[in-house]
Amino acid sequence: MSFEKGKMSGMSLRHPPETGTVMGSSVNIEIREVPRSDGVVILHFIGDLISDSVKQINECISGVIAKSKNYAIVDLSESNTISSAALGEFMGCRKRLVEKGGDLVFTGLKLEMRTKLNLMGATKIFRIHSDIRTAINAYKWDIERQPEKIHVSFPPYLKIVPPLRQLVSRIARQKGYGNRDSFRIETIVDEICNNAVEHGKSGPDEMIDLIVIIDPDKIEIDVRNMSDPEKIESLTAQLLPENSKHHKSKPDVKRGRGLTLIKMLSDELSVECTEQGTSVRVKKVREE
Amino acid sequence: MAKIDDTGNTKRGYTSRGIKFPYSVKVSFPGHLEYIPAIRKFIAELLQVSNFNSKFAYRSEIIVDEICNNAVTYGCRNENSTIELSNTIFEDRIEFDIQDQGGTREDLKRLKRAINTKIEETPDTTRQGGLGLEIVRTLSERLDVVIDEKNLTSVHVVRKREDERDESEAST
Repeated sequence: MSFEKGKMSGMSLRHPPETGTVMGSSVNIEIREVPRSDGVVILHFIGDLISDSVKQINECISGVIAKSKNYAIVDLSESNTISSAALGEFMGCRKRLVEKGGDLVFTGLKLEMRTKLNLMGATKIFRIHSDIRTAINAYKWDIERQPEKIHVSFPPYLKIVPPLRQLVSRIARQKGYGNRDSFRIETIVDEICNNAVEHGKSGPDEMIDLIVIIDPDKIEIDVRNMSDPEKIESLTAQLLPENSKHHKSKPDVKRGRGLTLIKMLSDELSVECTEQGTSVRVKKVREE
Repeated sequence: MAKIDDTGNTKRGYTSRGIKFPYSVKVSFPGHLEYIPAIRKFIAELLQVSNFNSKFAYRSEIIVDEICNNAVTYGCRNENSTIELSNTIFEDRIEFDIQDQGGTREDLKRLKRAINTKIEETPDTTRQGGLGLEIVRTLSERLDVVIDEKNLTSVHVVRKREDERDESEAST
């Protein structure tokens, strides 16, 4: 990962540079920008954060806000001490950044300092990331709401579907989706993948593609498979609207409820079925 | 569980298709550490449905964890990097291929050092890094690392089924 980096000294604390070093009595602050992430600034604190540093922290964050940045990554990898006064100042600064739609997060904490912050209850307020890249990823997810893509290509075997549904569900939970949403996503994946296996071409080389695009507000699931000419009629028959009514009126019918279930659980469903291939796209908006 | 009739169809109507070996499952995911727990569990479950025992699945899970961690930590120079993990499952083994988009020169130096050195009889406790590949080497039959001219790194790991060995160990 590369950052635009430069060294400056003797800068006015009132207007810290976009990239450079602010020298202070107790701590030096190295300021770095992140390419392609306009709102992010990395503040690398070198030295101990004692009560004398409060003014310096405050002015640094004021400068950050003045430069229209709203996400500060505070790198404490070269700090051994953080006083309660400095921590209080960071809380105030964080509040100002949150009001601007951003955040102030910590990274590079040594184990001892992390333990202290934990004991002080600060970990309930501040998000702590293991490294700078993880913090930038969190910015892209939380603030820029950038989607992330997972692609799984698998052969048409029904036995593979349960691990797949679990995979997508676990990813959804990991990304902050609630249990209810995750379970519904799991059910959708199960139904579409089962349909793809059942109605698609069989054989280890006839791969099915599962593409999941997830962002903080919604998840899009796209399953593509090669159509089996012998089964295409049964599939297109299921897609006809009169057939879904037929299932409702005949409760003894045991098949073909998958798509109806997906419709109930999702916000958008589209099916493209041609002789070349079938693509089922589902969009599910996050509820919790 | 659905019963299978004479024609090989289940009562539910699904064709009872067993898994035919070998088969491949490819996973492409963003180069973020948070995806790794879900991926490693997925591979473990995949092995279990392919009739490998839970011990084999768990040890393979550790391999996946290590190679994915290395790929994310040393092979993702920017935030939009993706990791490609290909798993080919045979009746008697699994082969992993992982590709990343290449790290910095320093990352590659560390990686090459880790590949070429084996842990000494008296391990250096101050040593940082390189242990992941050592674990992979211990748990697998084969480990190959290829770094191409564009610094793209691919790691190939082969792990063989050890059921017979397990049974003989249990009987002794």
